[in-house]
Amino acid sequence: MFRCRDVGQLLYEYVEERLEPPVSQQLEQHLADCPGCLAFINTYKQTMRLSHELRCDDIPQELQQKLRSFIKTKLSSARPSFWDRLRSRLTGT
Amino acid sequence: MAVTLQDDELIAKLQARDESALEALMVQYQARVFGLALRLTGNRQDAEEVLQDVFLAVFQKIGGFRGDSKLSSWIYRITTNAALMKLRKRPKVKEIPLAEELGPAMTDEGMIAEPVVDWSRLPNDELDRKELGQRIEQAMNLLPADYRSVVVLRDVEGLSEQEACEILSLSEAALKSRLHRGRLFLRKQLADYAVSQTGVNPGPQHV
Repeated sequence: MFRCRDVGQLLYEYVEERLEPPVSQQLEQHLADCPGCLAFINTYKQTMRLSHELRCDDIPQELQQKLRSFIKTKLSSARPSFWDRLRSRLTGT
Repeated sequence: MAVTLQDDELIAKLQARDESALEALMVQYQARVFGLALRLTGNRQDAEEVLQDVFLAVFQKIGGFRGDSKLSSWIYRITTNAALMKLRKRPKVKEIPLAEELGPAMTDEGMIAEPVVDWSRLPNDELDRKELGQRIEQAMNLLPADYRSVVVLRDVEGLSEQEACEILSLSEAALKSRLHRGRLFLRKQLADYAVSQTGVNPGPQHV
């Protein structure tokens, strides 16, 4: 007989579909008779869905431009300028 | 308009210091890097800085990239580390409660001892989904960094367990325990909110 506590302990594996089929079936039998556990599992899964909805797929245009000008500045300051090259040639360094 | 390149081609060009490949890399990854940084830091300003630092670091470090992991995993790892550095500079968040404390109270016989509301089934006019979305965003920002990084990589970004373990250098067991506890914490925050909003009384049948 499954108790609510067992459901709590197996919840993660159940949601991740890691339980052996017979264990999973036993757990589901408990859920059929236990509104509290069913509500808990439903809201646990709903939390995961809501988390996934936080995934952000857009990057504002102005930020894309800012990124490119940042990179451009950094790369050009890292590259030796004409004067740097001339100086090193003259001083032999 | 930059073309989408295959990873190995992109890596080879970047290693040859080809700046046009950097543009292709940005087109391919900028939205993911920014999105991940935004969720991890919970702060737009920090996410912007992470975005810039990541692409600079990728271009500077690509010479040492040996292809032991996928290019995307490597970039996510750099992003995650840069975002966590930002978080570490902020005042430390308190630890979250243990898993047992985040679930319903149990009787000595191991049965649920209190009503549990199923707010996942409530219609939108009773519990606004948009509001719920804002709540989970706030709750996410309350999670300490160790938990937040796991929840963001697995549940927000939808990465596989293996990839998340690799990016965070975590064992499967550690990932599992943090992820579960993080989810329970978020669930509790949403449940408290849902009950306060709807005043639903689950009735004796839920006890």
